[in-house]
Amino acid sequence: TLNSDYPWILNHDHSRQKEIADWLTMEIKDFVGYISPNKNEIETRNRTISKIRQAIKQLWPDADLNVFGSYATDLYLPGSDIDCVVISKNSDKENRNSLYSLASHLKKKKLASRVEVIAKARVPIIKFVEPESQIHIDVSFERTNGIEAARLIREWLDDTPGLRELVLIVKQFLHSRRLNNVHTGGLGGFSIICLVFAFLHLHPRIITNEVDPMDNLGVLLIDFFELYGKNFAYDDVSISVSDGKPTYIPKSDWKDLNTRGTFTLAIQDPGDPSNNISRGSFNLRDIKKSFAGAFYLLTNRCFELDMATFKDRLGKSILGDVIKYRGKAR
Amino acid sequence: QCPKKWKKMFCTLCNSKNHSRERCPSIWRVYVVKEDTQKQSLPMHALYCYNCGSKGHFGDDCPKRRSSRVPNEDGSSFSGDNLSQPLK
Repeated sequence: TLNSDYPWILNHDHSRQKEIADWLTMEIKDFVGYISPNKNEIETRNRTISKIRQAIKQLWPDADLNVFGSYATDLYLPGSDIDCVVISKNSDKENRNSLYSLASHLKKKKLASRVEVIAKARVPIIKFVEPESQIHIDVSFERTNGIEAARLIREWLDDTPGLRELVLIVKQFLHSRRLNNVHTGGLGGFSIICLVFAFLHLHPRIITNEVDPMDNLGVLLIDFFELYGKNFAYDDVSISVSDGKPTYIPKSDWKDLNTRGTFTLAIQDPGDPSNNISRGSFNLRDIKKSFAGAFYLLTNRCFELDMATFKDRLGKSILGDVIKYRGKAR
Repeated sequence: QCPKKWKKMFCTLCNSKNHSRERCPSIWRVYVVKEDTQKQSLPMHALYCYNCGSKGHFGDDCPKRRSSRVPNEDGSSFSGDNLSQPLK
């Protein structure tokens, strides 16, 4: 069928827009709308979480289940897993025994299939699929920093228009290039959010209050890839996101940082100024290259469509080959 | 010898010699500006440089040697030039 590769453009044609940047802005909004969960999906997720919470309280009356990560901040792509943490009054569940007893309890209750217990990792977790909804769930134990981070991100989302939209596009882009997994040196979700958050709060047109980011998502997306793909001085500059006010800090002024003068991304943890959130993203070379590639793909596409006739533009996508969305039709 | 070497490039949109008219950044670097121009100002304390990390100027305007090895021939959005006329 027509345009099955870019399902978000069906019935959303913007090819007659005068400015290509406006076309891109509208296509970004269409894509975000397309991947955002509908009412049914939200209800299924909530029901699944409360079933698991009940089962955990049955096993351990002093414990509760909290969600964090992309699910808690509404920044998830279709099919992404839900991150949960078991918190108990005595904070005594972070051991191998509780890991295995929860795993077998959930299996017995038929709430978990394809269960994996990963006991030896830095953060021990249980991974499983809830059989009825087929949702993938990760459970960790007694760690509150994820919940804190989710609360902070929700504040940022409230006072940063455009943050949600750009984060979802950048996430999908990195996902399509397999550069969003920290275990393989990619960018984690929190690092992506910090990059976009700092970009928006330091952009010349935004600090001067000249533009509304929601009306300029297209040009801002290209500006984002231009900054972090071509211009940012990864060797010498680090990013701070403390107190809701993003700034740059010369790496030489960050006392605890041990990656000064080297090509590494450094983002200061708002909860612990000595910690670099993005220290795991060792494949920065490919990340930077992919951002520069996205800049060239998008700008070339803009030049191409700017010269084309309206007839040739009809039904075309600007984003399609950049974000390579290959999810199930929704 | 590169055959393109002697071909002069010139942009009739912005007078740059770095690109042709068909590849002018002004084709995509277009902002929808707010109608209310009263509240617009340039807060010098909020300017940070992507090249040296210090305050008070944008990365494109940094006096220090460029750190990134990717060239920036046409200028980027992080430049004093990328502001509307009265703020420049």
